[in-house]
Amino acid sequence: MLGIRRIFASRWWHKNKNWRFFAIFLFLVFVRISKGAFYKDFYYFISKPFWPGQFQKEIILESSDQEYLIKLNLLKKDNIRLRQILSLQESSNDEHISAAVISRKTGSWWRQIILNKGSNDGVEIGNIVIGPGGLLGRVKNTSLFTSSVTLITSPESKLGVWVDRIQINGLLVGLGDDYPSLILYSKDADIKIGDIVSSSPASTLLPPNIPIGIVQSVDETLKSKKTAKISLLAKPHVIDWVQILKVNI
Amino acid sequence: MGANFESKYLMNKFFLKKLYIISFIFIPIIFLWHPNWLGFLGVQPYWPLFWLLPWSIINGPINGLLVGLFLGLILDSLTLNESFTQIPGLIFCGFLFGRIKLHSDFLLGHFRYGLICSFGSFLCGILYFLQILFRNSSDSNFLMLIPSVKNILAEVFLTGFFAPFICSQLLRMFKFSRRKIPQ
Repeated sequence: MLGIRRIFASRWWHKNKNWRFFAIFLFLVFVRISKGAFYKDFYYFISKPFWPGQFQKEIILESSDQEYLIKLNLLKKDNIRLRQILSLQESSNDEHISAAVISRKTGSWWRQIILNKGSNDGVEIGNIVIGPGGLLGRVKNTSLFTSSVTLITSPESKLGVWVDRIQINGLLVGLGDDYPSLILYSKDADIKIGDIVSSSPASTLLPPNIPIGIVQSVDETLKSKKTAKISLLAKPHVIDWVQILKVNI
Repeated sequence: MGANFESKYLMNKFFLKKLYIISFIFIPIIFLWHPNWLGFLGVQPYWPLFWLLPWSIINGPINGLLVGLFLGLILDSLTLNESFTQIPGLIFCGFLFGRIKLHSDFLLGHFRYGLICSFGSFLCGILYFLQILFRNSSDSNFLMLIPSVKNILAEVFLTGFFAPFICSQLLRMFKFSRRKIPQ
């Protein structure tokens, strides 16, 4: 009887040490099957404070901005050189005058802004005014300290523009509302919503390639021409600072 | 103290007498200021009518017509649209507003100012719009301008909305400044 009891007490599963080994074995099998997922997740949490953070993101963004600026300058130089070779019209890049908007009438029939730079600062009638986004209008009138700008939405504004995707010139007419109308004197022009409109290389009033707006809707009801509503890139009713460009025409 | 009192009295008298001119100066300023928070669909009320209505009611059609002309000249000089003018509308409104006095002796109710100014604004807007249409009629694309009639409607609404407040106050001020001041 005593002998039997001793044999029974010495079974392997009655030893804690064995169970511990078994648990470790099972854990290692789990690790093997999960391909180290546990280790990786553990590493995820302990390495979190040392990840490449906001600071590195800023460095990378700054570098990419510089890269874009350098590329832009190179392209600009190329563009100017090619334009000189082809004897095309160019705008002088050096003469930018920054000005603040001191009065704006962007509703109703009178669509104009008044800037705090005038003939005293070298602003001349016919200069181009651009804001963040693109073209705003042309200087129509200057006093000693102010200049008045006719916006491209004004009913008096008519400008030659260029639709780059379909390589065609058109006429941008202000209608007295926020969306000027683009007139293409060709029924076959394949203009589509989303096309970008910029100043025309053939225009005698504007320097070429200034972004103006995006085609918002196309009207094909007229027989001999197509018209399109243009959504302007530069929003005159919110812009407070603009740049005045001198044009060599 | 006596001198101080006298100078204050003279200043008050000067301001009362010149209330017309002082308020007149504010018309082009507010026209240029163009406060967006007062606008509707980006359009402002037609400010000159608020001054023109009480002036014409008090001073009659001929004076109204003349001041309409002056206002038109000033406002045209502030806007860049050289091909179009606000003068016809303002002259017409000045004359009409002056006639109101001849036809009715009783003081106009506040809300009638709103209706009268709305009508005046509609008249000025239509006359201006017709000029734009006429100017563009040769382009064969003048029909594109039709949707901008919303400018007129927004202006009519806003002018009618603000007129009862502003015109009645200005009329009261003008009447007050015309009374005999004891010497």
